[in-house]
Amino acid sequence: MQKLAIILVTLVTGLITAQTNYEKGMQKAFELWGNNNSVEASNMFERIANAEPDNWLPPYYAAQINIVNSFGEKDEDKLTAQLKKAQDLINDATAISKNNPEILVLQALLYTAWVAFDGATYGPALSAKVASIYAQAEQIAPNNPRVVYCKAEWGIGGAKYFGQDIAPFCSELERALDLFANFKPETPFSPNWGEDRTRMLLEACRK
Amino acid sequence: MQKAIIIFLILTSLHLSAQQIINGTVLNTNNEPLVGANVFLEGTYDGGTTDENGQFSFKTSETGTQTLRVSYISFETFTMVGDVSYMKNLTIKLREDVNALDAVVLSAGTFQAGDNSKVNVLKPLDVVTTASALGDFVGALQTLPGTTTVAEDGRLFVRGGEAEETQIFIDGIRVFTPYTPTTNNTPTRGRYSPFLFDGITFSTGGYSAEFGQALSSVLLLNTIDEPDQDKTDIGIMSLGATLGNTQKWETSSLSVNASYINLAPYNEIFPSRNQWKKPYETASGESVFRKKFDSGLLKLYAAFDATNFELTQEDINEPEGSHFKLKNNNLYFNGSYQGDLSDTWSVFGGLSYTHGNNTLNFTDMLVDDTENDIHAKLKFKKRFSNRFKLYVGAEYLASDFNEGFSDFQTNNTEYGYQDNIVAAFVEADIFLSKKLAFKTGMRSEYSALFKEFTLAPRLSVAYKTSNKSQLSLAYGRFYQNPSSYILKFDQDLKAQNTSHYILNYQYNADRKIFRAEAYFKDYNNLVKYDTDYASFDSTFNNDGYGFAKGIDFFWRDSKSLKNIDYWVSYSFLDTKRDYRNYPSKAQPNFANTHNLSLVGKYWINDWRSQVGFSYAFASGRTYTNPNTSGFLNEKTKSYNNLSLNWAYLISPQKILYASVNNVLGFKNINGYQYANTPNMNGNFDRRTLQPAADQFFFVGFFWTISEDKKSNQLDNL
Repeated sequence: MQKLAIILVTLVTGLITAQTNYEKGMQKAFELWGNNNSVEASNMFERIANAEPDNWLPPYYAAQINIVNSFGEKDEDKLTAQLKKAQDLINDATAISKNNPEILVLQALLYTAWVAFDGATYGPALSAKVASIYAQAEQIAPNNPRVVYCKAEWGIGGAKYFGQDIAPFCSELERALDLFANFKPETPFSPNWGEDRTRMLLEACRK
Repeated sequence: MQKAIIIFLILTSLHLSAQQIINGTVLNTNNEPLVGANVFLEGTYDGGTTDENGQFSFKTSETGTQTLRVSYISFETFTMVGDVSYMKNLTIKLREDVNALDAVVLSAGTFQAGDNSKVNVLKPLDVVTTASALGDFVGALQTLPGTTTVAEDGRLFVRGGEAEETQIFIDGIRVFTPYTPTTNNTPTRGRYSPFLFDGITFSTGGYSAEFGQALSSVLLLNTIDEPDQDKTDIGIMSLGATLGNTQKWETSSLSVNASYINLAPYNEIFPSRNQWKKPYETASGESVFRKKFDSGLLKLYAAFDATNFELTQEDINEPEGSHFKLKNNNLYFNGSYQGDLSDTWSVFGGLSYTHGNNTLNFTDMLVDDTENDIHAKLKFKKRFSNRFKLYVGAEYLASDFNEGFSDFQTNNTEYGYQDNIVAAFVEADIFLSKKLAFKTGMRSEYSALFKEFTLAPRLSVAYKTSNKSQLSLAYGRFYQNPSSYILKFDQDLKAQNTSHYILNYQYNADRKIFRAEAYFKDYNNLVKYDTDYASFDSTFNNDGYGFAKGIDFFWRDSKSLKNIDYWVSYSFLDTKRDYRNYPSKAQPNFANTHNLSLVGKYWINDWRSQVGFSYAFASGRTYTNPNTSGFLNEKTKSYNNLSLNWAYLISPQKILYASVNNVLGFKNINGYQYANTPNMNGNFDRRTLQPAADQFFFVGFFWTISEDKKSNQLDNL
């Protein structure tokens, strides 16, 4: 009887304190992504985006998956389709949350994916765009670690190309690392990525 | 205890019975499974992804009527509304999205340069990094097939047509005076600086019903929708200087650009064949203002330029040479609005005003002409689906031309005309599948000057023959009123017309493009006159006719050779006309048979430099030799030009640029001028028409000042 009561209580409380669909869905999607199942993860985020039309996070992550997968993609048709989809998702996210530094960083990364694919073709037109997006993001959130580190990484690429000193960008990376240490995401699912890459870039700096 | 069990059972069964399974298979129209498609109930979290067999299965606790959606990249999203309990063992076929990248394109006759179009022959950057172009978009287009090399002119001559047969549009609105005036042996340039534009469409035939009053070709230039950032551009060149500034605000932006060109210092160092009294000098200013609204974009564009020069030109009939002096002022204003009215309706409206004034002294003659033009256009687009779009529109074109003439015999005589045209057009894009598409339209025009009504049908069909290739056919009829040099003397005429028949094959794969296009053009109602030059005493009629046929080839490869991008164009043209003062049918002197162009660019990473070359070959052009019988009976030797350029990035924002035109110093001949009267031996003497200078050098330093310290003017060079 006691056991039964416990089971009952757990069941009922389980029902009450159960995670919301949103939390379950987001967790599941991150799980899929973590297991290298990015197509399903992206689909899942898209579905959540569809069910939560006022939340910019699901389309943000769906876009991020498509952008991250585009780096290293050699097939131009596939790349174009993927980045077009990512752009649509970014547009959706921007419509919900304007002047959001996290979304701006993603937009800059999308253009960077084009430049990485074919610098000679896309570099001249998109470099200025990327630079101005980072400038805009910095104005809104000068202490967002992703804004600081992505801007520095972009700067390192340009400086190396022109044989200029990368030291100022490295010190920016140091600053980003401190910012990461003190960064508190607004919600459990808010963007909180980039610390590992910052460390990696810093190591390259020190060499 | 029992109660508890019952409650427990009810609870769990409730929990279980609420779950339904939705499953099925997603296929394409060829019954092949689609892997990775997103299947879900709209507005819920329930959904799944198809596996390698195209199968999906997921649970839902939703009941009753729901919307099932299936989405997949490059396919049209599928929607099904029904009761959840029936959504079992579904077979769903997705149709390919006709907007997808590999879908058929309606492109016969058209070359596009821009980031947005599906088939780009030129990139925006090419306009300014092509060695022979010298930053002139018209110069870059002359490396494309279908154009003929008329080196001393510089305007676009397309497929056996005169330069006047090509019309230029900015943001869909006509430019009436697109070229800056020059002397006889110096090529002209487009008036507008390339850096304000990011999309160029060059159609060499068979174009949309939206465009009229052009017999051969249309060139569509689109101004940049949104600049990237605030910046200042400074350019110091061997010929002058430019200064540009862009300011960006929340929803609007303003770009201004000013330039001053003076050839005097250059002519001091490199004397030309012209005896300048007042070397070529031009000052120009342009501005673009853009304002974004919630669902639309307003653009205002204004340009002003003033040019003057004075020289003594060689002339076989005037041992002292003939005096030539010109002053030109040109003002152009263009405003347009493009916006959405609803999900399926959109509107475009635009208006342009041109004011041009030329004061010209030639020997003892003084000619002063003034031109005022207006173009207004309103266009609606209705999108019924991705597969069917309808365009309707109307436009109004008005030209008012006045000229004053005086010489030692005539006191100032004034004459001119007004040419008003109203037009309406309707056009539909129909995609039967991803492989087969039609564009069909009709344009009607009424000319108030001739009291004449014309009807011009247009049709093009495109069929995808494989993943990478397609075949297109196009037909169109085109009308154009005669040019001002005729209308100012006689207005009792008709519109000239031509029909285009085009067959196009296109192969487009992985940054390699091949195009072959065969065409036939049939000209009728061309204007003829019975004097050497059109003048007051000429008798005019519309009895002229002609034809042009040929084949154009284009190949571009940006992929096979590392850091090298090149393209090759070849055009074969066979044309004859009987018009103007021609006594019989002949090949006009602006239309040569063979044109070959080769452009290459090499990016040297270690030097942070781009070096480029362009080579042009053109077979000889016709001229009349009065010492033998016949008309346009002989041909000049062929034309050759090799140009080189070099752009060096000193730092991200500083660029040094140099170019040399005709490096090998070919002595090109544009034609001959014969004496009006025979010499003592009864022969007509002649003078060779040569360019003002065989070679041309250009050096410039370009510096951009911007917040981000990154952007530069590489795309302007």
